[in-house]
Amino acid sequence: MIANQLALIKREVWEHRSVYVTPIAIAVIMTLVSVAGMVTVSAFDREVELAIFGASSIAGDAERKAALTVFFLGTSWIFLLALAILITFYALDSLYAERKDKSVLFWRSLPVTDAETVLSKLLTAVVVIPLVTVAAIIVTHLVNLVTSSIWLAINGGDAGHLIWGSVPLLDNWTAAFIVTLASVIWMSPFVGWFLLVSAYAKRSPILLAIMPLVVIPLTEWIFFRSVVFAEIVFGRGGMLPLFRGMDLERYFDEDRMRVDEGAVSLLAHLDLAGFLSSPSLWAGLLVCGLFTTGAVYLRRYRGEV
Amino acid sequence: MDKLVTAKNVAKRFGELRAVDGVSFEIEKGRIMGLIGPNGAGKTTLLKAILGLTDCDGELSVMGLDPFRQRRALMQNICFIADVAVLPRWIRVSQLLDFVASVHTNFSRDKAEEMLARTKVADRRDAKVRELSKGMVTQLHLSIIAAIDAKLLVLDEPTLGLDIIFRKEFYANLLSDYFDEERTILVTTHQVEEIENILTDVMFINEGRIILNQTMDSLSDDYVELLTSGEQADRARHMGPIAERDVFGKKVMLFQSADRQRLAELGELHTPSVADLFVAKVKGAVA
Repeated sequence: MIANQLALIKREVWEHRSVYVTPIAIAVIMTLVSVAGMVTVSAFDREVELAIFGASSIAGDAERKAALTVFFLGTSWIFLLALAILITFYALDSLYAERKDKSVLFWRSLPVTDAETVLSKLLTAVVVIPLVTVAAIIVTHLVNLVTSSIWLAINGGDAGHLIWGSVPLLDNWTAAFIVTLASVIWMSPFVGWFLLVSAYAKRSPILLAIMPLVVIPLTEWIFFRSVVFAEIVFGRGGMLPLFRGMDLERYFDEDRMRVDEGAVSLLAHLDLAGFLSSPSLWAGLLVCGLFTTGAVYLRRYRGEV
Repeated sequence: MDKLVTAKNVAKRFGELRAVDGVSFEIEKGRIMGLIGPNGAGKTTLLKAILGLTDCDGELSVMGLDPFRQRRALMQNICFIADVAVLPRWIRVSQLLDFVASVHTNFSRDKAEEMLARTKVADRRDAKVRELSKGMVTQLHLSIIAAIDAKLLVLDEPTLGLDIIFRKEFYANLLSDYFDEERTILVTTHQVEEIENILTDVMFINEGRIILNQTMDSLSDDYVELLTSGEQADRARHMGPIAERDVFGKKVMLFQSADRQRLAELGELHTPSVADLFVAKVKGAVA
């Protein structure tokens, strides 16, 4: 069972190379962008000198931590955007492509159940792709820190003190891991919906997936003058119950000109217990489960290809 | 003899259409059964039911399993080639072997490698299926199937779209590399003449019903073709042929359980080809 799952997931990665190519491409782009940024900034000799002096002598440990964390967030958010797009297209394609190229007949000639196959596609979408993304975020972060260190050293700064002594690696990385996985699990009803559409669509799964998202709210508005469906569906992305009220001003306590040490931690902003105990999370997982089960049945009972 | 497939009153409807209309038959171990029928006769539906790819009414047991409900267990001991075009086009040859080896307990990687080594696919392990010619894809598929120690092999139009050389080669390889008395083959094809000499049994299906089901040996006992002409043809016609056709001005009549001695006096006797017999049976009456 588990051996089958591993083989099936491996197959998904073989088929959908974008699963790892996309994060790698973004990692390369983000690294180039930050290197280009450093090169550009280097032209301003005096300002650079001042900034390094400020970072070394005036700023405290907490400020440096905060600055490095902001830098980390700046190079990481784009991965989450790409992740959303990647998962959407992967899920929509996953059960459609095999019918389109008729390979479903070959896959079904092997001793693997439809439930196992669909599960492997769900796991690829909600676990494998996010994990690859987290790995890409971490590698990009490390590469960026190394290039920044070199840049600092060239410009006469002490990278050991300014960067490696201050960067909260574990805090940043753990937070990235939690935020990435939690976001995907939170949005899993959409993944389930995409799988179902992928298993059903005769052509253009993307159109079929979007259509109800337009037609249903419109119908609801015309007949009931209400927007319940739209609020639940489109509002879900903004309702992730993982963050405690994040207040950027807390980073810089103006009275003391010193950052509140606790507020620098990204993890301190995450409310994992609140996330896991949110009924909305479990309702979402249930919806995802129902859609996925639907996809299994479609694959199983569809006589024709 | 072991019964590998047992069907009792198996039926499958699509709305009003009775694709398979209450068929009963058995397939014994070690046989090569040809399932012959015109388009839309219900062949593919029946095969799908046997493979557990579709639900059906009636009693259907394949190696003692309910194919639809126990498909995973069934697939340990059953192989099928639906059409050679179905291997995923994006996969590499080596990946395909890896994958089958990891999900199929009855797959012998060594045997597959050994078979592939004898084909043109041998030095193309890193090639994707889409980069191989159709003939090579067939060889690849057959190598994988032959390396699976399955009790039943189901072939649904396995040589569709292949040229004559590959079709011949396919069946030759099938017999030499796959078939033995422990294994059973169920095959459908339109090119009946290409497989009739490898079949041990034949079953005709038309409009969802079985219209003939017997061994090839008994076929030549039961049916005989008479080549005749002129007045003798008229006399032969009185003996009730089930089909009659013209060949180069002569009459060819097909008889079922007829008196061979009397027929022999009227012209030349031949064993009918499966194709001719099929046409006669489907038309069901003298043309």
